[in-house]
Amino acid sequence: MDDAAHGAPPMIEVPRIDAQLEQTLEQVFSTAAGLGEGSTDLHFDRVLWSTLAELGLTRLTSAATGAGWIEAAGLLRAAGRHAAAVPVAENDVLAGWLIEQAGLPDDPSLIRTSCVVDAFGAAADVPWASAVDRVAVLRESADGWRVADVPVADVALTRGRDLAGRPTDGVRIDLAKHASAKISAESVRAYDLHGALARAVQSAGAMERLLAMSGQYVTERVQFGRALAKFQAIQHLVADIASETALANAAVEAAVFEMASGHGSLDRVELAVAIARSVVGHAASVTVRNAHQVHGAIGTTLEHRLHEYTKPILAWRGEFGSVREWDARLTAMLSRPGVDLWSFGVPADRG
Amino acid sequence: MSFAPAAHHVQESAALRALRAEVRAFLREEIASGGFVPAVDCWLNSWDEAFSRRLAARGWLGMTIPVEYGGHGRTFLERFVVTEELLAAGAPLAAHWISDRQIGPSLMKFGSEEQRRKLLPGIATGQVFFAIGMSEPDSGSDLASVRTKAVRTDGGWHLTGSKIWTSGAHRSHWFIVLARSAPLDPEHRHAGLSQFIVALDSPGIDIRPIVSMNGHHHFNQVFFDNVFVPDAMLLGREGDGWKQVTSELSYERSGPERLLSTVAVLSEMASATQRGDLAPDPELGRTFARIMALHQMSVSVADALSSGRPTDQEAAIVKVLGTATEGDVAELASLSVATGQADDGLARLRDMTATALLSRPGFTLRGGTNEILRGVIARGLGLR
Repeated sequence: MDDAAHGAPPMIEVPRIDAQLEQTLEQVFSTAAGLGEGSTDLHFDRVLWSTLAELGLTRLTSAATGAGWIEAAGLLRAAGRHAAAVPVAENDVLAGWLIEQAGLPDDPSLIRTSCVVDAFGAAADVPWASAVDRVAVLRESADGWRVADVPVADVALTRGRDLAGRPTDGVRIDLAKHASAKISAESVRAYDLHGALARAVQSAGAMERLLAMSGQYVTERVQFGRALAKFQAIQHLVADIASETALANAAVEAAVFEMASGHGSLDRVELAVAIARSVVGHAASVTVRNAHQVHGAIGTTLEHRLHEYTKPILAWRGEFGSVREWDARLTAMLSRPGVDLWSFGVPADRG
Repeated sequence: MSFAPAAHHVQESAALRALRAEVRAFLREEIASGGFVPAVDCWLNSWDEAFSRRLAARGWLGMTIPVEYGGHGRTFLERFVVTEELLAAGAPLAAHWISDRQIGPSLMKFGSEEQRRKLLPGIATGQVFFAIGMSEPDSGSDLASVRTKAVRTDGGWHLTGSKIWTSGAHRSHWFIVLARSAPLDPEHRHAGLSQFIVALDSPGIDIRPIVSMNGHHHFNQVFFDNVFVPDAMLLGREGDGWKQVTSELSYERSGPERLLSTVAVLSEMASATQRGDLAPDPELGRTFARIMALHQMSVSVADALSSGRPTDQEAAIVKVLGTATEGDVAELASLSVATGQADDGLARLRDMTATALLSRPGFTLRGGTNEILRGVIARGLGLR
C-alpha cells in the first residue's frame, strides 16, 4: 500500500479563469452586434473590437500580457456564446503567436489573420482576410518553414464567405516581395493545434447558447394548452443538447488544460485536441439538429437569431481538419504498434 | 434559470497516477499469468472469488471503509481510480461488486455499530458478498411502488414478497431489501419504505434463476415467505428507505462501470488494427474520443461528490451518454467483423463482440433507464 497517498491532495484543481475576468468578458461580448437586419453577411464588429483592444483583450496570450490558454479559452468561449463577429482567435492564438514565434517586429495595434500558403503563395478560405490589416503567412520553403507579416494591401483577395456569413477569402501573395523569418516545424504543428482547439472552444461556447435558447424557447412557447417543455419528447431533445454540450465542454476543458500546461509534449496536446475536435464535432450534430427541431419553423428564419449560433458551429467543425480527419487521426494514434488503448488515453506515472 | 451544466475540469494528483500505475502493473501480471481473461461487462458477468481475494490482499476491496472496521481508510477518489483500472482491464469483479460499491458506503452512512462490526470486515477481505433487491415484477423504474411487505413481529420483522433482477443472489451471503414497512399513502408515495439486511440462507427464502438471453445466469428472482429479520438488521431508520436508496444514486450513476463495460472490446479492435487484421476505421477514434471525454466527466463528478458538491444532473448525463457509448462499441465491433473467416485473427474480437451485443440491451436499462435519466436532466434544466 502506498501510504504517501494518504492525506495528499486527491485532485489538482485546474487553474480556472479569474472570476473577475470572466465577468468582464461576459459583459463585453454581450454587446456584440451580430448580423445586420435582413442580412446573411457577418461584418467585422469594429465597435466590439475597439472595446476589446482598450481592455487589452485582443492579444491576450502575447508574451507582454502573461495570460495563457486558460484565459484565451474563456475569451473564445464568450465570443462563441455571443456570436461575436471579431477575429479574436485569428489575431491572438494564431497570427499573433506566429509573429512572436518568428521574432518578427510586432505592433499589437495591427489586426491580423493568418494562413498557410502553397508554393504559389495562394490559400483558400482565409477567415477575415478582407477585414484585417495584415496576414501572417506561413509557408514551407526549401530550408523549412517561414513566416511573413504581409499588409493586406499587398494581398490579392478573392472575396468569399463561409456558411455562417463570415468573410473567408482567397488570398494570393507574391512571396518574393516579403521578408520572412524562420519558424520551427514544431511551432507549425502547434499553430495547427491552436487553430483546431480555438474552433472547438468557440463551438463549445455557442453550444451553451443553443442550450440556453432552447431551454428558454420551450418553456415559453405554448402548444396544445401547455408549454412545449411539458412534453416528454421535447424534454428529451433538450436533455440531449445538454448532455452533448456537457461532454463537449469536458473534452474542450481537458484540451485547454493540456495546451495551457505548455508545449512540453505536443503529442499529449495533439491527443487532447483530437479528442476535443472529435467530441465537439459529433456533439454539433446533435446540438444543432435538436436546437432547430425544438424551435420549429421560426428557428429556420433569418429573423430568428438561432442560426447565428448554429451556423458558426457547423462552419467551425470543418476548419483545421474535418471531423472525420480528427477521428482518423485518433485511429492512427491507436493503431501504432504496442499502444494500449486505455493507458494511452489515461496516462499513469509509470508502467 | 440556469441551463448550462458547469464544466469542471480536474487533473489527477501524482499520488493518484502512481496508484493507477500500481494497479496496472498488478493487472498485467495477472493477465500474463492467466489469473483472469479480460471480459466484457466484467462487473456483472465475471464472478471470481479467488480474484476478489487477491484484490483484497492488495487492499483494493473496502478501500473507503475505515481501518477500525477492517477497511483501508482510503479516499473515494482512490477507490474510483482503482475501479476504473479494473474495469478497463475487464477484470472479474462481479463477486464483490455490490458489497464493495454499495454496501460498504451504505453501512458507513446508515448502518448501526453492530452491523458495521459484523459485516464490514468480511467485505474488505472478500469473504462476504451482497446482493441488492430493489425492483419487483410490477415495480421497475417506479421504485416507490414496491410491494414487498415488512410486518412487525416479536423482535423483528416478517418480510413477504419478491425481488427481481437481483444479480448474484444465488452466490451471495446477504441481501439488502427495500420493503414497504407502512401502508402506501398515495399522497406521500415515498414514505413508509425501509431497508433490511437479510441473510440469504434464512428460512422462507427461495432463489430462482433468471437466465439472460446470452445463457448467463446472474439475475434471480428472490421470493420471501414470512422471512424473519431481527430488529438489529433494519438498515438506517424505519421509513427512511427511499431517502437512503436515493442518496447514493449519483455515485451509482456516474461510476466508471457506466462507460467502461465494453472498453475491452474497443481495445481489442485497436489491437486488431495494429496487427493489420482490421482496416483502420475513423469510428474507432471517434468512439475512443467519446470514452475519454466521458472519463473526464466521470472523474470530475467523482471529485465533486467527494467534496460534497451536488452533481445529480452531471451524474445523470454521464450515465445516459456512457451507457449509450458502451452500446455503440458493441455496435461498431458488430459492424466490423464477419463470420466464416477461420484465420483472420479476429476470433477473440468476435467472441467479445458476441458477448457485448447480447449484453448491450441491459446497459441502458440497469440502474435507471436512459429515459428516466433524461427526465432527471430535463428537471435539472428547469423543464419539469
